[in-house]
Amino acid sequence: MINPDNFKIKLTKEEKDILQGSQGETMQKILETVVCYGEALGAEKLVAINGYGHFVITYAIPGIAPSMEMLANLAASGLKAKYPFTLDPKPPLDFENWFLTAEQVKTLEQMYEDQERYDEIMLELGLRDTDACTCTPYLPEVGNIPKREDILAWSESACAIFANSVLGARTNRTGAIMDLLTNIVGKTPLSGLLTDDGRRAAWLIKVETEQLPLPQLLGAAIGKKVLADVPFIAGLDTFLGPGLNENTRDYLHEMGAACATAGAVGLYHVQNITPEAVDYGTNLLVPNHKTYIIEDRELDELLSSYPIPWPKEDALPEKCFIGCPHLSLQQLHWWTEKITGALQKENRDQLPVKTTICAAPQVLRAFQADGGTYELLKRTGAKFSVGCPMQIFDNDLSSGEAIVTNSNKLRAYTTARFFPDEELVDIITSGKIKEEH
Amino acid sequence: MKKSFKGRPILAGNIEGEALVTKNGFNTYASFFTSIHLPSDKAICADSSNRELYGKNLAAKIICLPNTTGSTSGGAVWQRLVRMGNAPKAMLFSQKIDSLGAGGLVVADIWAGKRIYAVDQLGDDFLETVKEGDRLVIKEDGTVIIRD
Repeated sequence: MINPDNFKIKLTKEEKDILQGSQGETMQKILETVVCYGEALGAEKLVAINGYGHFVITYAIPGIAPSMEMLANLAASGLKAKYPFTLDPKPPLDFENWFLTAEQVKTLEQMYEDQERYDEIMLELGLRDTDACTCTPYLPEVGNIPKREDILAWSESACAIFANSVLGARTNRTGAIMDLLTNIVGKTPLSGLLTDDGRRAAWLIKVETEQLPLPQLLGAAIGKKVLADVPFIAGLDTFLGPGLNENTRDYLHEMGAACATAGAVGLYHVQNITPEAVDYGTNLLVPNHKTYIIEDRELDELLSSYPIPWPKEDALPEKCFIGCPHLSLQQLHWWTEKITGALQKENRDQLPVKTTICAAPQVLRAFQADGGTYELLKRTGAKFSVGCPMQIFDNDLSSGEAIVTNSNKLRAYTTARFFPDEELVDIITSGKIKEEH
Repeated sequence: MKKSFKGRPILAGNIEGEALVTKNGFNTYASFFTSIHLPSDKAICADSSNRELYGKNLAAKIICLPNTTGSTSGGAVWQRLVRMGNAPKAMLFSQKIDSLGAGGLVVADIWAGKRIYAVDQLGDDFLETVKEGDRLVIKEDGTVIIRD
């Protein structure tokens, strides 16, 4: 029997009762897990979650998902998240969009043999709808957009950092499984990024580049430097202008994804742009904060430090994955313009590199409804998917393939080679990588 | 001479083992990216960005680190490793444990039924002192002793 008085965290009468079994054995175990998590974080108490969730646990494959036994047990107990939730992108089971061999398809089918049952359980546990799967839930077409100061327990590092930084909601970087458990309890420990103190910046990052830096490189440089601290970024408004607009939102969602991958950053402030930075300015910096200046040279060095992860370094690129994190509607238009323009210069109709472009189901539908632009991009041979390219690399599925990407997150976890957007356009339309690489 | 450090026990116990050390953040998902999918009694670190640990077997070792980093998928990795039997024996954090590490290790402990021992706040000095291959003794009160 759990003795609630053994915990340092302050518990309400109801929480103590649950820990002693008032709402059944499963709920008791879930709350025990959340309370022990709170103890580890040094939280004073648990606080109520008051917004929709977003969780990373989309896949049925063991290793990155809760065990089926655990999920089945939760669903069988009649439990579900207090609020509906969205999930990360679906597994890449739309095989026709990924240029796969028969052997790769067979392996994926085996890896995801439980996916159908998994999806059913997720709906039982509170998944908003079957299409609510993307790493950009906060785009207007998808509509899981937290409000400022909402208390959340989000996972998916790219989403948690966006919710905190750009929307001003409050979430810690919740891990897979703990995301679901906290949202079933409807409470999360009051600690870290949920507190005013935890949201103050320990680093002043001065961006002193000649032009707007590539977001996925800038994010990686910042994450690597500050690790888990909160950075206050100055100088970006010179290029992006003040306040938030669609361009800035897209820039920040790419920068944040790279920042969270390279470090453990869950929140950044951008001077004159993000809501708390607009309201409080440099008062967000703690006394004796550290300063880090980022110039072009530093970002060039970071880019050239990435090893070539292909077995044959001078291989011609075979495949390209764009959209990790998922693209916005505006970004889909940008890629269409760039790709079709470059193909025209190359005197080609079709992309010589097999290219898959990923976006949320709702965003892709809006793009398709747009008609002309979608048809233009489709005619180049590019495929569209609502899935996640990361899982194409699980189980050594793509080992030996020369895959290129514009995603620094994908680069960090897989054998895909990273290139800046404009260079990637040249590569996939010419079929070649320029010699300086 | 023995050196002793006092931290905060997160998942307490009395054990001994061999140290592996990283002074940079430990990216859980990247480190175990290969070993969670391919059943083995080993867990070879697959994070090529971590030059101190890349290619080394993390199974049954005591990992000394500042904190964990990277994707939140890393939270689920711990219960998988415990079920597969190739988890590290303990995690010794020099800093206050991060939310991702804390959540993942607690879930593995309560839902997978096998403890990966964890102590945090051991201090920068601990991470400067401990070396790969050191024999470590962990006490349930959070004391960590580096043996001769």
